[in-house]
Amino acid sequence: MTQRATTPMILALLVTTLGFATLIFVQEAASPPLIYGAYYAGTLFVLYLGVRLLLPHSDVLLLPLVTLLTGIGLVMIFRLTYNVEGVQNLATTQALWILIGSGAMFILVLFFRNYHRLFDYKYLFAFAGVFLIASTFTPLGYEVNGARLWVDLGPVNFQPSEFARIALIVFFAGYLAEKRDLLAATSRSFLGIQIPAIKYFGPVALVWAASLGLLVFEKDLGSSLLFFAVPLLMLYAATGRIAYVLLGGILFSLGSLVTFLLFDHVQVRVQAWLDPWQDPDGTGFQILQSIFNIADGGLLGTGLGAGFAQTIPEVETDFVFSAIASELGLLGATAVLLAFLIFVYRGTKIALLAEDDASKLLVYGLTAMFALQTLVIVGGVTKAIPLTGITLPFVSYGGSSVVGNFILTGLLLLVSEKAGRREAEGRAYQESDWRAS
Amino acid sequence: MNAHLRRTFYLFVAGFVGLVVMLAYWQVYQREALANNPQNGFQTQRSISSPRGLILARDGETVLAQSEKRRGISGPIYERSYPGGAAFTGVVGYWSTKYGATGIEIGRNSDLSSVAGDPETVDDLINRATGGPQPGNNVILTLDPELQQLAYEALSETVTARGSAMAIDPKTGEILALATYPSFDANNIDENLPELSQRSDAPLINRATQSLYPPGSTFKVITSAAALKAGVQPSDTFFDPGYLDTPGYRVTNYQNRDFGTVTFAAALAFSINVIFAKIAINEVGAQLLYETATDFGFGDPYDDFPLLVAGSDLGYPVEEWVEGNTAQISFGQDRVFSNVFEMGLVAATIANDGTMMEPRIVKSVRSPDGIILDQPAPSVRRRVLDPATANTLNAMMQNVIVTGQLTEAEIPGVKVAGKTGTAEAPPREPHSWFISFAPADDPKIAVAVMVENGGEIGPQGDAATPAIPIAQDLMETYLKNEGG
Repeated sequence: MTQRATTPMILALLVTTLGFATLIFVQEAASPPLIYGAYYAGTLFVLYLGVRLLLPHSDVLLLPLVTLLTGIGLVMIFRLTYNVEGVQNLATTQALWILIGSGAMFILVLFFRNYHRLFDYKYLFAFAGVFLIASTFTPLGYEVNGARLWVDLGPVNFQPSEFARIALIVFFAGYLAEKRDLLAATSRSFLGIQIPAIKYFGPVALVWAASLGLLVFEKDLGSSLLFFAVPLLMLYAATGRIAYVLLGGILFSLGSLVTFLLFDHVQVRVQAWLDPWQDPDGTGFQILQSIFNIADGGLLGTGLGAGFAQTIPEVETDFVFSAIASELGLLGATAVLLAFLIFVYRGTKIALLAEDDASKLLVYGLTAMFALQTLVIVGGVTKAIPLTGITLPFVSYGGSSVVGNFILTGLLLLVSEKAGRREAEGRAYQESDWRAS
Repeated sequence: MNAHLRRTFYLFVAGFVGLVVMLAYWQVYQREALANNPQNGFQTQRSISSPRGLILARDGETVLAQSEKRRGISGPIYERSYPGGAAFTGVVGYWSTKYGATGIEIGRNSDLSSVAGDPETVDDLINRATGGPQPGNNVILTLDPELQQLAYEALSETVTARGSAMAIDPKTGEILALATYPSFDANNIDENLPELSQRSDAPLINRATQSLYPPGSTFKVITSAAALKAGVQPSDTFFDPGYLDTPGYRVTNYQNRDFGTVTFAAALAFSINVIFAKIAINEVGAQLLYETATDFGFGDPYDDFPLLVAGSDLGYPVEEWVEGNTAQISFGQDRVFSNVFEMGLVAATIANDGTMMEPRIVKSVRSPDGIILDQPAPSVRRRVLDPATANTLNAMMQNVIVTGQLTEAEIPGVKVAGKTGTAEAPPREPHSWFISFAPADDPKIAVAVMVENGGEIGPQGDAATPAIPIAQDLMETYLKNEGG
């Protein structure tokens, strides 16, 4: 894990540069993208060098991947909003959020190299997570497109659930690492399924249910799905008991049925997924425009700037992948998915190499959330599954999402530094051993 | 714990593979079907998101159609505008995302449209490689803008305000004017088309090319050509008793006159039906008349011509002609049908020593930066008459103006050749025709004009011939401009 990865980093920046150069050509855009592109490239390159310096043994591919994905996102956001009344500043705002995310990551890397301290405050994190989600119910919270996801803090508006996810994963990792043996050793069984001891399972279930319940009432389906699945996967990883997964599956089916029956907006979403043609100008409009745009791209894409992805409502946030598939084609979209998969692969590898259970579970939880989020939103916009409004990590426009994912990456880097250093020390030890003999 | 992590990682991998499969399903398997879905407006949107080429008149400056940039919801869109107005619509046509396209707009769409064909210049290649809006190529027409406008306005001032006119350079086949009236302004076609299609005077029809009318006596130049080929001399005399009986049909002259003994040349000058019927039956015969008319283009398709041309027609296959048919066909009635486009070609062929040039309406195609991509050279369509026969016919047609005292057709200092026609179109007034060319000794322009039901019968029983002054005006104007 200690190889240098300056070449991937430079390649990622070149891809972004190429994207902006094409847009300047195609959309006859003036110099602003160049200046912001330069700021962006400088920020991430400095971040990369800083991380190399502070965490020399950390995973080398994560930051080039982040650079590639944020770069592609920035190019697409610029392309989709340039000269469009009302949203023409989104690309510069996104560049600012990337700067803030980079700063947050740098602070994390600088001050939390001993990240194990975080697990000491796991109950605080649990509380903070639930509190963040609940904060949208305070007068500061407000609704956008029917979902109550936002909190207005004067100068900034943010989506607390983006940060709550990370906090809750820290809690689950710390708690499960501590209690995993006790949770794995079950005492009773019900209908052939072994039931864990309520005493140990209780806190997990409580936090889980609280966060889930709140999100469902906020009508944040995407986050609900993630909050449901990620702790379940972590539980499975910690205990290896398939019973949890089965139990989760049953709960999921029940929960889905109940929410489907209770909430109109869930029924609308499912209806739009099953048969968008029923109301092609209404509820089916967004997903149909997405499908039309994806199909329009074909194998090689229409070319950057030549597609019609602006016909999709919310294209720069939830539907940014449709725009990528439209203008870069099947090949480009697959390449972007591969970048996500490599990120997930590196995350899994860090989890495998991490020395203690809490670190493993933390990295695994974060990686699983990242993977699921990508699968759920891309699956949604390609009509593979019903649509749930969540962002595509690093690519979609959205400050909370970008900053949250930079923090997520920072945590992965911290864990990988420790594992990497151990590996390096082991190698050094072996070498000296070999010389001595 | 690591085994569990690996297992779920494989699950994620499977998920990503599934997404790629889903993408491939849309982008490869379902692509065609979705592109053609009626809910999908991208094909239309693509056609308006890059500028089409210009359509220009023969001077290369007068813009007849252009794409104007406007801000759309998703980036710039281009709207077609037609600065030339209604006078040019018959040729230029319209380009509508709602109602399709007509005229040169569709006939030369592959040049005008920005996405067709292989890149032709380096600029084009760079443009396409970068995915930028690729302007289409410019199409320069052979139309003389002044002549076209003149023809259109002259037609508008006729009695019935319905008609068509065509002017052509007989030596090159370049069409100088091709006008139809009534026409319409192609600007805002999306709003106006429903109403235009309802109008009883059918402004959407290009009368110059798409409609067919009996050519009447203008057809006599073809019968004359056949007679000359059959050995009849202009000085040969024939007797006209005022009628000719064929089985089942009696030929009479215009206004039921009888001319007695006249020469063949005079028979053309005074347009004597009885003598032409006699010559067609006795001297020429159905077969030669049929062949000559066919050589002059009757029944020809014009598939390579960018505008839709309704093929002229003799009515029956020659095997079925009986004497009554031959008699009526000889003066352009029965079921003979043509239009100014094709009759103009007949005049041009006689003017050009019997050689019919390929009619052309596109002078050149240029890339947006002016590089010539296509500039067809004049080409011979068919050698219809030998030069001697053509020159004899030319002289006879000059005689039509002089002996027939068609003073309206005269141009000071210029010899004019021509032939009128008053084609019966019962129950309405006859169509007024005139085909001509000038200068007869060195033809520079050939013209065919037809005013629909314009041959109004006056109190003395003679018909008005509104087609003549229009043709004269076109020729005189053109010659004056050409002469410097």
